[in-house]
Amino acid sequence: MTAAGRPAPVRRRVRLARGPVTIGEPAAAIEARLAAAEPYRPDTIADGGSAFGLTVRAASVRGLYKRYTGGPRQDDICLRLHADSGTLIAAVADGVSGAVRSDLGAALAVRYATAAVARFLDGGPSASMDWAAVFEQAAWALVEEHRRASGDGEAGVEAASSSLATTLLVAVVCGSDVEVAAVGDSPAFVLAGKEYDALVGEPEHFDGLVGGGVDALPRSAGDVRVASCSLDPGAVLLLCTDGLAMPLAGGGGDVGATLARELARPPDIVDFARLLDFSRSTYDDDRSLIAVWRSDES
Amino acid sequence: MKIKLPSNMRAGTSTGAGTPDPAEPATTPLWEPPTTSVGEPVVPPPVAAPVAGEGEAAPAGTVIGQVLPMYFVGDESHSMAGDPIGAVNQGLIDLRDEVAKHPLIGKKVRFGIITFAETAQTRLELSELSEDLVLPTLSPRGRGTSYASALEALRQTIPADVALLKSNGYQVHRPSVFFLSDGLPTEKAEKWQARLAELKDPSFRERPNILAFGVGEADPEVIGRLASSPRYGFMMASGASTAGAIAEFAASMLNSMVASAERLDRGDHTIEFEKPEGFVQLDAPLV
Repeated sequence: MTAAGRPAPVRRRVRLARGPVTIGEPAAAIEARLAAAEPYRPDTIADGGSAFGLTVRAASVRGLYKRYTGGPRQDDICLRLHADSGTLIAAVADGVSGAVRSDLGAALAVRYATAAVARFLDGGPSASMDWAAVFEQAAWALVEEHRRASGDGEAGVEAASSSLATTLLVAVVCGSDVEVAAVGDSPAFVLAGKEYDALVGEPEHFDGLVGGGVDALPRSAGDVRVASCSLDPGAVLLLCTDGLAMPLAGGGGDVGATLARELARPPDIVDFARLLDFSRSTYDDDRSLIAVWRSDES
Repeated sequence: MKIKLPSNMRAGTSTGAGTPDPAEPATTPLWEPPTTSVGEPVVPPPVAAPVAGEGEAAPAGTVIGQVLPMYFVGDESHSMAGDPIGAVNQGLIDLRDEVAKHPLIGKKVRFGIITFAETAQTRLELSELSEDLVLPTLSPRGRGTSYASALEALRQTIPADVALLKSNGYQVHRPSVFFLSDGLPTEKAEKWQARLAELKDPSFRERPNILAFGVGEADPEVIGRLASSPRYGFMMASGASTAGAIAEFAASMLNSMVASAERLDRGDHTIEFEKPEGFVQLDAPLV
């Protein structure tokens, strides 16, 4: 654009960026195999836009390992608006790889949870969010799907956990007010400048080692952790899965520095997905990230 | 006509798909300001921080990767002479070659070899399984079969290895041990059991998952005790050949390595493993 606001009269040549964004030592370059999942599971999804004085970017990218083996992306994301209350509802889920249809579990969990939150918000400003009920409803959707798919109408939480287990992280953002709730290790951060403040769900370290099992829906639907904070102008709320949280490692290293630099302002939607799909040796899990900025200050 | 742009829209990011003009900008790489990319080749972004190699310490707090340490602890006593030890050596070569040619697993696994007869020896320090890695050739040595020495060697090397990996900037997953023996310990039971208790002690932070495999004359009860979980104990099925069982064991160790490294990010402390052909899982119900 020119200073006068008109499109500059130049013709541009298209040249696509080739290869991934790399942070540190890159992972091996491989051509992904198409995932033969039913229903359709695209390798990458990207979304974003502005509403209610908020700007959001969201992406979920299949990890390199599943690109190598042809497995489906087991992370998922969902964005939903609640117009009456001017609220953004966002969710990320990370299907547990040991569960055979956890890709479907993650997809169902984010959709049912955000719908359940919207129903609570329909109750008006006086209705307080019942997070336990939101997670119960998401868990129940998994049990119902397991019953439908297996034909076993009596199947319970344990059986559904073996096929559809997933973590779930949900956030409601209204103006500067943020509330997040989580089951499992998908963490939420507020990034201000270069500082990452963990809200909930940071992957736990036991005995100085990483890992240690993970809580997941539907089995752990009662273990909801809730946190709230105020989103300052210039700060960004990050909801992610451990595929990003692991290389982020609290934000103190070069992944943290790169994200802090690139997310100081909202990138274009596809650039955001490309950033999330960075190449870094040994980190090949699915990654999902939803980032929310306040846009009402300008 | 004036168009009011949303506050978050930046100027100059159009990629204009019209007539190509070599003098005009290409797409705007993510990592460059939109106005500085004229005619520049698309290059990877600058690395934000120097990366520490294996041999040097990373800056404090910097994480450069995640690794899963795995140890093979093998019986090198005289009873392994001939085809059994040959099967071990071939199995290790196949393991190295398969992991080295895998595009993703090799970087995530560190492999070490400890052998035991009357004493324990570290035959391979914890290493990346690259194709040019020189493997030791195991051969029967000494008299006796000291489980205690092998378990003590693990107890000493694991914390040191984990500490070194961490200081080099790695996130370290819980180590795993594949223990293979074809005989009974030739020492007092109290001795090796005390060393085993130290290795499994919950206050030992880096305590490994131990998968134990008995072939030949090994005692199923002893093998079962070594395993860190009842489902991690395996005994060669009666009538199977020892060398054949060892070959199956080695193939399963490779499969476990691949499956476990695949799920590193999942955060589980357990190890992925399927019973090798020709073995009986010791906690399986008798039929």
